[in-house]
Parts: sequence; structure tokens; C-alpha cells
Amino acid sequence: MSDLEQAGHLPGIPADAVGRRIVAHEAWGETVAVALPSLSEEQAKALCGHVRIRARDTLRRMETARIVAAIDRASACLLDRSHPLRRKAEALLPVVTGYDRETVRLGLTSTLKTFRRPQLLRFLAEDFFNPGVLDGFQPAVKGGFVRAQGPALLLHVWAGNVPALALWSLVAGLLVKSGTVGKLALAEPLTAGWFARAIAEADPELGECLAVTWWKGGAGAVEAVFLREADCVMAYGGNETLAALRAKVPVATRFLPHGHRIGFAMVAREALDSRRAGPLARLAAHDVVRYEQQGCYAPQMLFVERGGAVAPGEFARHLAHALAATASRHPRRRLEAGEAAAIAAWRSAYEMRALEGEGPSGGTELLGDLADPWSVVHLDAATPLSPSGLNRTVAVVAVDDLAEVSGLVAPHRAYLQSAGIAAAPARLFRLADDLAGIGVTRISALGRMTAPEAGWHHDGRFSLLDLVTVTEIEHSAEAAAEGFAPYAD
Amino acid sequence: MRFRDRAVLVTGASRGIGAAVATALAAEGGLVIVNYRQDAAAAEAVAERCRALGGQALAVAADVTDPAAVAALAERIAEEVGRLDAIVNNAFAPYRFDPDHRPRFRDTPWEAYQRQFDGAVRAAYTVVQALLPLMTRRSGGSIVNLASDLVARPSIPYHDYTTAKAALIGFSRNLAAELGPIGVRVNCVAPGLVYPTAASRDTPEEVREALIAQTPLRRLATTEDVAGPVLFLAGDESRFVTGQVLYVDGGLVMG
Repeated sequence: MSDLEQAGHLPGIPADAVGRRIVAHEAWGETVAVALPSLSEEQAKALCGHVRIRARDTLRRMETARIVAAIDRASACLLDRSHPLRRKAEALLPVVTGYDRETVRLGLTSTLKTFRRPQLLRFLAEDFFNPGVLDGFQPAVKGGFVRAQGPALLLHVWAGNVPALALWSLVAGLLVKSGTVGKLALAEPLTAGWFARAIAEADPELGECLAVTWWKGGAGAVEAVFLREADCVMAYGGNETLAALRAKVPVATRFLPHGHRIGFAMVAREALDSRRAGPLARLAAHDVVRYEQQGCYAPQMLFVERGGAVAPGEFARHLAHALAATASRHPRRRLEAGEAAAIAAWRSAYEMRALEGEGPSGGTELLGDLADPWSVVHLDAATPLSPSGLNRTVAVVAVDDLAEVSGLVAPHRAYLQSAGIAAAPARLFRLADDLAGIGVTRISALGRMTAPEAGWHHDGRFSLLDLVTVTEIEHSAEAAAEGFAPYAD
Repeated sequence: MRFRDRAVLVTGASRGIGAAVATALAAEGGLVIVNYRQDAAAAEAVAERCRALGGQALAVAADVTDPAAVAALAERIAEEVGRLDAIVNNAFAPYRFDPDHRPRFRDTPWEAYQRQFDGAVRAAYTVVQALLPLMTRRSGGSIVNLASDLVARPSIPYHDYTTAKAALIGFSRNLAAELGPIGVRVNCVAPGLVYPTAASRDTPEEVREALIAQTPLRRLATTEDVAGPVLFLAGDESRFVTGQVLYVDGGLVMG
């Protein structure tokens, strides 16, 4: 595979005039070279201008149903396993991201099927009582009329931790009819551009209102152009990246950051009977393995309640073997030096604790070797939430009662988002109440933590509603207008 | 060196099959815990042979049917070795294999059955219970239980002994089903008549010749013949094999 894959989608900019930066990716014994667009200041300005004007002239006037249809067709291309684009995605993404082929294949399908027409309609219905407000003025309950519109130019700054992650915000922007410019992430610079091109193919007019490009983060002039031109900036990444970006965004521009998160899961004693504990551990392992805990929603700690037929220590062993068994189907991606060091540090911290502790049966039990592509630590004492070493490392914390957990995770309030829960209905709701109070915004089943459902509220925010501003025709204006009608008595 | 950095407990390892398994493991670089009940000198000699072969060895006395003794054994392994990759449950209750003077069913008291159950199933039960927490700190542990081909083909009906070995096979399969999900495999090795051992010395020439005549490979098993399949099941080469009974009897029993 030595072809050069062109990343991005640049309507209105002659392809031969665009500078390229070539980045080689290597994994699974293959190499893929990706050509990232590298625009000049003038080109950046022209691109923003082109998208803004085309969005104003065409996208604003499109019915939402037409946008939904175009996104639906683009998703269909990428879901069709015989489609050239899908075949390319399955071939290139494992090499570019390092994730194994099966993970990429299953992950692509799981993400893209949330962007079919029924799911997109649900996405709209989730945020708008009457999605018609995006197409024109609709009567308001309090009187008068209201319509909603997204920013004229919406800039996305994407992260590459999970393949196809960019599609969530890209789709949200299009649904609220925003001219859209996205910045690719180095770690996953392909899917957003492919998707944009598939949309352009499905609906060429819509394709003109959408650009996908790249610039070196923090690289002064070009970045400044994009930040200056945008009406709203939606950014994903670590806190440092976000803080640096926020400092550069003009004060009147809206900034919607999505920073790092730490996920956890809880298993109640009623779920820990002899029949179901094993399968539950397998589901938890799935959440740990999928995307190597790089996503904001992956669990890094599991709180397991005592008193079930299967004790927390045994659950930890089930989890350990499920991780070991999964590794043959989904091999762990090759770790960067920093990642390997993070795992070693995480392990040795617990090794120290095990040595200092009350002995192997009492305190801390580290399962698996450093050479294994996974690690599980079993902590016999209630322990506050803390980040794992990532890349298939996870702590199983024994608690007497899951009600303790909200207290154990509360110190991380600012970083909470997803929690997986396996518990009976009454407790699920009771626990959810506590978790909601400390900032958890999403509760899923085990096994579904890395696959948020269609229309989910990322970080508890309304993905579409957060983007729009409404224009209201107050009742007074409507009533006064009646007086000026040609048919007025 | 298939067992380098691997620790294996062999019960009843001071003589016979146990000693052969221990030394074969040591020859593959393994650290062997040579468990014995009474004969400290013999066990120490086995341990010495293990070291001479390039392995490490630790002789530890424990009656494997005694939970307190096994708990002490487990503690010693945890402290001195810190890991356990495989268990070979080889020890069994003393039994005299004498075709000419074997007790008939009507002369076999229930206590004789009980003694054999204790020696086979209870011993394996006690050892696995005590050592599972240490073994499961890593994924990929293996338990090998020594059964007998008499279960499939009672050439000579040693009622109590063979019934207990049959129970051990059932015990092993259930354990395999439950421990598979936590990464522990459980298999049995079922030897035919192994000669010469202390247990088989009373089997007369005539009986041995009859067995040899019916054995496709035309001889009796040696202790070394049994060690190979035990090492296979104890080690990583059989990592996708569990709940199986491997007959080691020259083809006397098939399937």
C-alpha cells in the first residue's frame, strides 16, 4: 500500500494550488502515506469565505429533510461493505490509527448506523420539540413565532483518539445548517474527509458548504485566520490543547470545548450470580478493549459490590481472562513509548501498594504480567476513582454497597461523563440520581459504554440546541402586523 | 526450555510418575514444587535431580488430603515462589494393584471406596481450592489430574480405585467448564499400567504379557511416557485444550 491518500475536502480551492504535508503511518506491517492539506493564509480565508457564502445562499434555504437525506446516503456508502470508500476505510484506518481491523470494521459500522435517516430524525427530535424551527418560523407556545439557526460558519477542531469521532459534530453542524469547516486530527485524518466527499457526491450543493482541512495546531497565522473567521468553534482534545485554543478564540466567538473524561462502571451484587457474572465481565472487557480506552466514555475503574455469588476478586479474574481471550481476536495496537511507560507506572504503583499492603489476600492484587496486553488490579478496599494506565488496564474496586461509589468518584466531578451500570431497576434509578448529582451525564449498560446511542447528549449538552440561536417574532409584532394588512378592517 | 520462568506444583512427586514429571519439568527449565507426604529423603533426591537438570526445585511435605497442610503448602509457594502456572495432581491414596488378590465387589467395604475418593477427588479438591487464588493472578493456568485408562477399560476391576478415578474425571470436566472463563484449563492424563512402579510391582508377568498383547504399541507405559503428555497439558502448547482426557496406554483404549 504505497499510494498517497489525499485527506480533506476543499470546495472552491483548486486542488493543484494546495500545499500538502505528507505523513506516513505504520502498523500491522503496512504503511500508509497521508497527504494533509496545508493552506496559505489567503487560501484559508478564501475557503472560509466560500463556505460561508455557499451556506448562506443554499444551505440556509435547504429543508432539513434534504440534509438528512444527503447524510443518510453518505452513511449508506460507508456502511456498504462492497463500496470502494468503505473498502478503503477498512484497509487504511487500521494502519493509520493502529487499531486492529476487526475493531475498525465493527466501530465504523456501529458509528455510521447512528447516522441513518431514522436516527438523524431522532437526533433532531431529541433537541427540538418541533424540528420545523430549523426550516422556518413556527408558532411558539407562549405566543408569537420562533425559528432557530446554527452559526453561519462553524469551525470544528477534531481529536483523533477514536476513528470517525469527527462525524458526530460534523453531522450536528450540518443539521443546524451551519457552513462547516473542520480541522482534521493527525491521529485520524481520513474519515471526516471521506464523509464530506460522500456528502458532496450525494448532494453537490451541500458539499460546497462543507470543508475539511488541516493546519498545524498553534501555528500562528493560518490558525488565526480560521479562528477569526468562525462564528463558533467546537473543539475536542486534552485540557492543554483546549486552553491554548480558547485563549486564541476571539472573545465574541462561541467556544464549545469537549475535553478529557474519565469513565467508570458499577456492578451490583444482584448481577453477580454464577450465571451472569462471567458474561458481564466479558461485556466490561469489551468496553475496555474497544478503542483501547482512548475514548472519553471508556471505563477506567470498575466498582464491584460484595455480597453476590461471585466476589469482586473473582469478577476481576473473569475480567482478566476475558481481556486475555479478546486479545487474540482484537490484538492491542502497538504502544507508543509514552503509553507503555504509563502502563508500567500504573502497574508499579499498584505493585508497591501490594507489597506494602496486608498481603496477597487482603489489599491489592495485580493480575497479569507486564508482558500481557492487559492488566487488571483488584483492590479489596473502597478506593477513590483514579485514571488507569489506559490501553487495556483497569482496576476492579470492591465496595460493600454501590451507594458508596458516588462519593468515590465525586472528586473527579469536572471529568465525569459516562458510567456503565449493571443493577436492578430500582437501584439503577437510585444510583443514577446520585451520579447525576455529581456530574455524570451518561449512563449505559455494560458493553455499550463505547457506543453512545443516536441522539446522545455529549457531555450532557444538547448537541444541536447548543449550536443554535433562536429568532423570535414576539406576539406584539405579529399582532401589530395584522393592523397593517391590506385586509385590515 | 518450555517451562523457563514457570512454576509447577507436582503432588506425590517423590517417586513414580510424580518424580518423572518433576524431573521432566526441570529439564525444560521449570521451577518444580516437589510435594511429598512422608519420604523426605526421596523427595530431596528428586529435587536434587531437578536442579542437576537445570531447573529449580523446592521439596515441600504436605498430606494433600489435609486442608491445613495444603494451606501451609500454598502459603509457602506464595511466599517463596510468588507464582503458580500449573498443578499436577498426581498423589493418590496407597493402593495395591494385585490382579490375583484384588478384593471382589462383595468384599469391598464402602470405606475402601471412601479412601480412594479422598485420595483422588478430595486431594485434587483441596489442592485446587487452596492454590487457585495464586494461580489465577495470571491468565493461562493449567491443572492436570492423573486418572487411569481403567476408567474406560477396566481390564482388571479395581472397584474402589477406578471408581474414584472416574469421579476425578467428572470433577475435572466440571472444573474445566467453570474455570475456563477465568483462564484456567483442567485436563486429565489417563495412563495404562505403568511398569515398574512401587504400585505396579505386584502385577504378575502373565497379566502384563496379556496387556502387552492387546496394546497396539506392544509394551507397557514407563513413567517417562506419562511425563510427556503431562508436560504438554501443563504447558502453553495445549493452551486451547481443556476438559479432555488424554490416554497414555499405547493405544489400548481408543477415543
